[in-house]
Amino acid sequence: MIDCNIKICVGCRMCEVICSLFHAGGVSPALSRIRVVKLEEIGLDMAVACLSCAEKSCLDCPNEALSIGAQSAIVLDDRLCDACHVCVDACPIGAVGFHEGRPLICDLCGGAVRCVEVCPTRALSYRDEYRGISLSPFRQSQGNPGMRRACYVQVRGEPLRESWKRGARVDS
Amino acid sequence: MSIYRGNSLRVDLTHRRIGRANTPENGIGGRTWNSVTLFEELKPGTDPLGPDNVLCIAVGPLTGSALIATCRFIASARSPLTGFLGDSGARGFFAPELRWAGHDQIVLTGASERWVYLWIYDDSVEIRDAAHLVGMDITETTVRLRAELHDPDLQVAAIGPAGENLVRYAIISCNLARAAGRTGMGAVMGSKKLKAVAVRGSKPVRPADPERFRQACAQLQANIEGHQEFEPRRRYGTTRIMDSLARMGVLPAYHYRSTVFDNLDKVNAEALRRDHVVKSKSCYNCNIFCSRYNYTQYSEGEGPEYEAQAAFTVKCGNSDLELAVGVSNAVNRLGLDCISTGEVIAWLMECRHEGVISDADVGGVDLRWGSREALLRLPELIARREGIGGLLAEGTKRAAEHFGPAARRLTAEVKGLELFSADPRGIKGYGLMNAVNSRGGDHYRGEPMIELTGNEALALRRVGYREAAHRLEDRGKGALVNYAEHLGLLSDSITICKNISCCMDAVDFDLAAAAYSGLIGREVSAHQLYEVCSHVSQVERQFNLREGLRPEDDTLPARFLGQPIPDGPAKGTTIDIQKLVDDYYREKGWKS
Repeated sequence: MIDCNIKICVGCRMCEVICSLFHAGGVSPALSRIRVVKLEEIGLDMAVACLSCAEKSCLDCPNEALSIGAQSAIVLDDRLCDACHVCVDACPIGAVGFHEGRPLICDLCGGAVRCVEVCPTRALSYRDEYRGISLSPFRQSQGNPGMRRACYVQVRGEPLRESWKRGARVDS
Repeated sequence: MSIYRGNSLRVDLTHRRIGRANTPENGIGGRTWNSVTLFEELKPGTDPLGPDNVLCIAVGPLTGSALIATCRFIASARSPLTGFLGDSGARGFFAPELRWAGHDQIVLTGASERWVYLWIYDDSVEIRDAAHLVGMDITETTVRLRAELHDPDLQVAAIGPAGENLVRYAIISCNLARAAGRTGMGAVMGSKKLKAVAVRGSKPVRPADPERFRQACAQLQANIEGHQEFEPRRRYGTTRIMDSLARMGVLPAYHYRSTVFDNLDKVNAEALRRDHVVKSKSCYNCNIFCSRYNYTQYSEGEGPEYEAQAAFTVKCGNSDLELAVGVSNAVNRLGLDCISTGEVIAWLMECRHEGVISDADVGGVDLRWGSREALLRLPELIARREGIGGLLAEGTKRAAEHFGPAARRLTAEVKGLELFSADPRGIKGYGLMNAVNSRGGDHYRGEPMIELTGNEALALRRVGYREAAHRLEDRGKGALVNYAEHLGLLSDSITICKNISCCMDAVDFDLAAAAYSGLIGREVSAHQLYEVCSHVSQVERQFNLREGLRPEDDTLPARFLGQPIPDGPAKGTTIDIQKLVDDYYREKGWKS
């Protein structure tokens, strides 16, 4: 899984640039499997990608197009997918995108994770988590994937904002 | 033959009609397109705040690509502040989104009767009602649109109360605090009753020659990461300029009355970082991420950059940095240009100091140096045109006419545009840039930064004069400013951050040619790009001459002429602006 340290992410979107370039040959976040959430009015930036979570509710695919592959990455079998959107709607943190009839899920670049390599602040890290963390606290998140990502980042950012309130500054 | 023709979206706000066209043939993106469009389509003498003014918002073929920091849009129109060609760029994330939606330029004509906003999702474009957004500041407008459209990733370029109320230095702002700040483009947008442009796009930018394009991107990245200022810029961004200018003796303390500020260590980059900065912030695809997020007990927000930091501290004689940060946040929300706003306040304070005006002349606001009341209240009054704010919203040049010749002598503007936060006498290239460039008193048209480096080899290579590497030398400054203008125009077309391309000298015409060639898959030479920039800079000059510009307008404010710098490390330095302007005219082939 790719995790993002919200404390040092600056929201530059380089991870989206390299992801869409590597997977689709062109730059557009709409084609990226990692998405940067920028909650500008509260100063939070964070990249969100598939966490290979404990629940893996995306696997409820009615066509069984999704399965667990190497490094616990979710793998799409393109031949079985009929663009039903179930996996997109199932992810509680909005980490499954959708473009031109196909879901977009982080595939860990088959091993050499490009976004981690280019991240200029090293906010992104790769961790091999076989069991995965639970995303059940986010199961009630409402709305489209973008809104669910925003909700996830807002919750993840609460301790950081608390620290600012207590007087923590960038170098402290 | 045209190098690249993009898609131009034509929006007639009077008749609520949307059309599509090509961008002008002679241009390479961004400002080149806008300047040509305005020269061809605007009648001379058009009222800047009337329906016949045309507001162009452009990105370029390289915007939103993998090339670092191709993050800016350029807004251009006839300026309500100067009466000449106005344009300004904003960084952040709006520009790449517009490019991903497939639009390279938006040309806004006419004026709506009711308040509207423009909604763009790829090829879908709608003019929508914005009655519910009227009166909202830039943060409120952006947050509201993202919420009601159920899209936290929506990119919004908006005006605040200042733009709605036609303040002549109102901004268009995206990402809450990234502003197209100069020359009043927000007022033009307000005059069209256009509150915001909201955009989402999903179309990828695909280089036609991926390997060549990748090499250009890698070269730029190497230029940036190998630069000696790479780490300090990451740490402090533009705020580190304050200490540099103090060392050079060109700090504009107490509205240019002194270059020495006793409490510098309370308001400089280190103080800001230590006390108020909670994290770094980035514009699109930038490996420097030089912006910072501030958090104080009163407010929070992105910034300030050097200009806001200096304008609300040393220039106004204010040593309370937390106050200045709060003012910067407020000015961003209200939609005011921090440079012009700071100039208005600092100039009033100097007028009071000199006994030219009294507090009673400005509705009883305390105008002593560093006045908390002035710094907090005046931006609000200006943005809402309440009380004295109505006059101050006109800018220092017009306001000075009200207060008389003694107040006029203390202004610091060129062609109506207020100066940046540095004393032009001790940085002669910058002084010349302020005197001659197309938008008026401004340093960012192109940055003649080579004069600050002492790097004679670089100066020789770029402009042909070793002396141009030294800020107090006159020789070579015409060539330096001409080169800096070309590089600035190239940057405004690539839409790359000028802090990188110009201030760090990280982009030249060869690198740009490689990037253009890689992106469009045809050979584009450095010479071709230079020729387009030369041509368009002459078009911009023609535009201004058509609007009544005279050679005698190419000068510095009278207060800097004949008077030496009064104190500090550059004490005694004077500037012979006419000599510098003549040198520049020779470079351009113009007659005095």
